[in-house]
Amino acid sequence: MRGAAHTLKYLLLAAALAYPLLPFRDVYVLHVLVLIMVYMVLAMGLNILPGFCGLLDLGFVGFYGIGAYTAGLLTIHYNMSFWLIVPLAVLNGALFGVLLGAPTLRLVGDYFAIVTFGFSELVVLFLTNEIWLTRGPLGIPGIAPISLDVTWLATLLGVDERWRYAFRGEVPYYYLAMVMVALVFLVMTRVEDSRLGRAWLAIREDPMAAASCGVNLFAYKVIAFAVSTGIGALAGAFLARWTLFISPDMFKFWESFLVLCMVVLGGLGNIRGALVGSAILIALGEVLRVALPKLGLPAETRFLAYGLIMVVIMRFRPHGLFTQVAESTMQSGLIKDLRARIAARRTA
Amino acid sequence: MLEQQLVNGFTLGLIYALIAVGYTMVYGVIELINFAHGEIYMLGAFLTLSFISMGLPLPLAVLLAMLAAAAIGVLLDIIAYRPLREAPRLAALITAIGMSIFLQNLAMIIWGSRPLPFPKQALPAFFSEPALTFSDVTISWMQVIIYAVALLLMVGLNLIITRTRVGTAMRALAQNQTAAALMGINVNRVISFTFALGSAMGAMAGIMVSMYYNTMYPTMGYLAGVKAFAAAVLGGIGSVPGAMLGGVVLGIAETLGAGYVSSPYRDGVAYAVMILVIIFRPSGLLGRAVTEKA
Repeated sequence: MRGAAHTLKYLLLAAALAYPLLPFRDVYVLHVLVLIMVYMVLAMGLNILPGFCGLLDLGFVGFYGIGAYTAGLLTIHYNMSFWLIVPLAVLNGALFGVLLGAPTLRLVGDYFAIVTFGFSELVVLFLTNEIWLTRGPLGIPGIAPISLDVTWLATLLGVDERWRYAFRGEVPYYYLAMVMVALVFLVMTRVEDSRLGRAWLAIREDPMAAASCGVNLFAYKVIAFAVSTGIGALAGAFLARWTLFISPDMFKFWESFLVLCMVVLGGLGNIRGALVGSAILIALGEVLRVALPKLGLPAETRFLAYGLIMVVIMRFRPHGLFTQVAESTMQSGLIKDLRARIAARRTA
Repeated sequence: MLEQQLVNGFTLGLIYALIAVGYTMVYGVIELINFAHGEIYMLGAFLTLSFISMGLPLPLAVLLAMLAAAAIGVLLDIIAYRPLREAPRLAALITAIGMSIFLQNLAMIIWGSRPLPFPKQALPAFFSEPALTFSDVTISWMQVIIYAVALLLMVGLNLIITRTRVGTAMRALAQNQTAAALMGINVNRVISFTFALGSAMGAMAGIMVSMYYNTMYPTMGYLAGVKAFAAAVLGGIGSVPGAMLGGVVLGIAETLGAGYVSSPYRDGVAYAVMILVIIFRPSGLLGRAVTEKA
């Protein structure tokens, strides 16, 4: 059973890697796949707050927007390389995260959710109204695509050529997005089982007990916020250099809700679940976008489905669809012993 | 100019106050931010429109819309929130947002996504005429009616809360649900009553706004709901007089902010007020100090 699941996983990965090289590849499908991967990064980033720390963040998209505008503006004005922009955008996102988080993370529950919500709405208002900086509702068109310049390597090797590769079409973005998802995934799974991750989970389960065990609630929450918002900004930077156009409309509240849906669908705190949730909801959204107008309904009504999904999941599985226990816990001798005994009793 | 701004701000503030009361009452009894409350406000306007187009006279249409909105509010609680009373609070909050989006899109399917005007022929002609004029300040009949209805509803609500048995039960529930239940209060029935009362007032606000601005659209509940929530927070969430005061203060602050500071940031006033109040004075203007129950 487990072996089959593993084989399936590798087969899927191989298929995903090979797809863009196949002759029957489709640009639209590739585009949707890249979009799914952008949302996977967002979902993994958001997951830290409601999933690991039990803090409902309703303003995640604000940081996505900050990342996107940081990348867009730096590209337009300074023609900066994407590889330099990524760390800057991430830092900028994390900076705003800490600025918002430091005074608000002492709040708990609904109040925290409301403040994050208000912040993201203020970000959209700012992007819409500060025309001198952001061109307002017109958005920023004509952002240069990503290019990879490794001429320095050529010089190093003594080759007198320009080794420069400009990203055109969906295929290079597809692979770059894959790398991004893999990196964030790797970092998140490692963090989940680290001291940091355990502190977050402790805060989620019982803040008071965590504090009395020596977990510095405030410090760990600020770190969680910074990491989460940094990842949001990373996805934003990628978005800006991929769609080559950004506008304030792309960062409205519904996006926050959509990402939250993905996290909840996958199971709060479940990293793999967040990936599955993103794939399902984006695919569903694309299907509904095509299907709804055929039924004579505006395409926006697909949110009706999202709303219903959330209500139904919360009704029957208030912790999310697939809840998960950290890998290290499953490896603990006690749990292993317990599982073995249960299995033995079953067979007996 | 300033006087006119104050008049307009006061009108807007009363509308916010009517919606905010619904948020604050529900929060008072079950500690839930009922995100879908803004949608009830929107449904109030659209239901009135539908009843009028069925040929009903205006007062009857308004009354029916309020009753229907109250019923929707009660149903919302029974279907979506009641099963989650014992669940983590995150779950209830997410459900509330889910219901809000669901209702908004349902309205979009039923009435279309484009703004609709309030049927002019149903309104008495004098509504848009000025009722009072002092030098350069005009108060229209519509505004006078908003003042009268809002004040009437709020006084009525206060009487219900302070003078009736069910109002006493509501206050008991807000203090301690278990103790209230032990005293023989039917908790679920009182919660349903709270939803009905809040929804009816929210719907009335929606109806009057659609008359005042002569437009209604399925997403109108979103911004109004957020602002009314900000008003409830400003007044001290859980406090009914606080919500009324908060609504009026926010309405005036918003109008003055738009008039004298920056009109593009009009909507930002509510967000800024909300964030600042939550950070610096979470108990609001009239609320009692709140401590989170784990």
